Amino acid sequence: MSPLVAFVIRRLLQYIPMILVVIVVIFILVRMAPGDPTYILVGEVGDESFVQAARERLGLNKPLHEQFLIYILNVFRGDLGYSYLRSESVSKLIIDRIPATLILVLTAMFISAAVGIIIGTISAARRGILDISLSLLTLFGISIPYFWLGQMILIVFSVYLGLFPLGGMISVGMDYQGINYALDIIYHLTLPALTLAIFNIAFTTKITRGSVLEALTQDYIITARSKGIPERRVIFRHALRNALIPVVTYTGFNTGVLLVGAILTETVFAWPGMGSLLYDSIRLRDYPVVLGIFIYGSIMVIIANLIVDILYGILDPRIRMR
Amino acid sequence: MANRVYPLICYISRLTKRLNPRLMTGIILISFLILIALLAPLITWYPPLKSLVGKPFTPPNLQHPFGTDDLGRDIYTNVIYGIRTSLTIGVSSVIIALLIGVIAGVLAGYYSGIVEDVLMRLTDMTLILPQFLLALVIVAIFGQSFQNIILAIGIVSWPGIARMLRAEFLSIKERPFIEAARAVGLSDMRIIFGEILPNAIPAVIPYVVLQVNTAILVEAGLGFLGVGDPNVPSLGLMLNTAQQYLTRSWWMALFPGLVLSFLVVALNLLGDGLIDYMNPRLRKR
Repeated sequence: MSPLVAFVIRRLLQYIPMILVVIVVIFILVRMAPGDPTYILVGEVGDESFVQAARERLGLNKPLHEQFLIYILNVFRGDLGYSYLRSESVSKLIIDRIPATLILVLTAMFISAAVGIIIGTISAARRGILDISLSLLTLFGISIPYFWLGQMILIVFSVYLGLFPLGGMISVGMDYQGINYALDIIYHLTLPALTLAIFNIAFTTKITRGSVLEALTQDYIITARSKGIPERRVIFRHALRNALIPVVTYTGFNTGVLLVGAILTETVFAWPGMGSLLYDSIRLRDYPVVLGIFIYGSIMVIIANLIVDILYGILDPRIRMR
Repeated sequence: MANRVYPLICYISRLTKRLNPRLMTGIILISFLILIALLAPLITWYPPLKSLVGKPFTPPNLQHPFGTDDLGRDIYTNVIYGIRTSLTIGVSSVIIALLIGVIAGVLAGYYSGIVEDVLMRLTDMTLILPQFLLALVIVAIFGQSFQNIILAIGIVSWPGIARMLRAEFLSIKERPFIEAARAVGLSDMRIIFGEILPNAIPAVIPYVVLQVNTAILVEAGLGFLGVGDPNVPSLGLMLNTAQQYLTRSWWMALFPGLVLSFLVVALNLLGDGLIDYMNPRLRKR
């Protein structure tokens, strides 16, 4: 077995227990919650015969350890229960929404990585007024709650200027095909992606700036400068290159934050992803879906971390050895 | 006793000697906001959360500087009391997180071996999970009360504190004065709480400030999704209500969000200023 394969397998074995932890946490929480856990696992449907049938099916009248086994097996089979309020299985409800959320998250991620790295490097390289004003902008970018920023952007650009749609992902009743369909989605995507990107640009800028500043103090920068390499080259080739490692780590391990950001942003723009589903489920007290979104969200974050970890091993052979 | 107090005195005297502009601004803004929160009953003229103190959907005017909402509640009053709620939730949940985080971090940092392994694996795992969603699930199924929100946010935010403290412990416990403490036969408890912890705390303080900030944002985010205590004025819940009327009453969203941003900016300045202050290498440039 090549060291790389061994490394990947080792990482997989590290991450699978995390999914188990998520399930255990949910199981404990549901059992600890006040009242009958059936209502949390089924939702408040009102019909007593329904509830009784579900109790049988989920084994809620069996001892605790059997309930636990049934629950784990169900989750690993992808069975997260049934939303009686929507007459649909929880897994299907969520999986249908994942693509929309992914589009939003990935778009925002790419925009913010590109813009944030450039602004952060410039900010670190040019001290003085530019750096101060960029730092101030970053501070506001990080601090302003993005869901509120989204509301403000929506009010200005959609409600008052009428430049963008009020929400959704496609224009209802237009039946666009091919390229027009894609353009229509981009048109709807602009404001939510911008909102989510602004927040993340600020963070990426902050990390890049700090990291480049740190790199600029290193000895090899003095060497490079004393060799007479142009400053621009010193910064982009020598400093930024070494400074990028923490930035990449940050971008990868930040998926959880970005996912939560997407969930809140979607709610503002009625973007039909997991966030909108969560918002509706909270309002309807459709608990199985709320729990399901937590499980799926956690699994998505775990997978993203796993991918970053493995990419690292591929990029940097030293990490594989550990 | 002197050992315990001395680092703290050093810390405070250093603090007042050389404040950077960010730290200074942060301290001023936060003091201002705390003052507003304390004086809330004196600077508002309606009871908080009371419906129909004005006509619903009144735009900002002299009686209602920030307008009224769908139920005719005064937004200015609720925003001022909302600051109180945010600060209370931020600080109390971080105290809970500190209690758990200090225990986990101290144990993992001081005792190596199986205790450290288990605690750190647990911390890493919890750190990766989307903490916001976990807090949301806890509040949703345990009931949307003020206490539950504080507890939930506290429970999900301990791992970061635990990690920081462990790192500090690992470096401090190798220093000669700890060896000396061991040599004179001090008990583990004395060494942990009397010698190492007081020296570890300064490095963790900026992080704790930023954690208060995160807690406030988590509360606002939960409120925005409709997960909050309807009996307590909350900036997040106000934004949730505003979302339904975005097309007709901009003021319902504008003012609570502005104040929330102000609060977060202040705490970020304070936290970042403290970090700069502690890291002399970055400070000089």
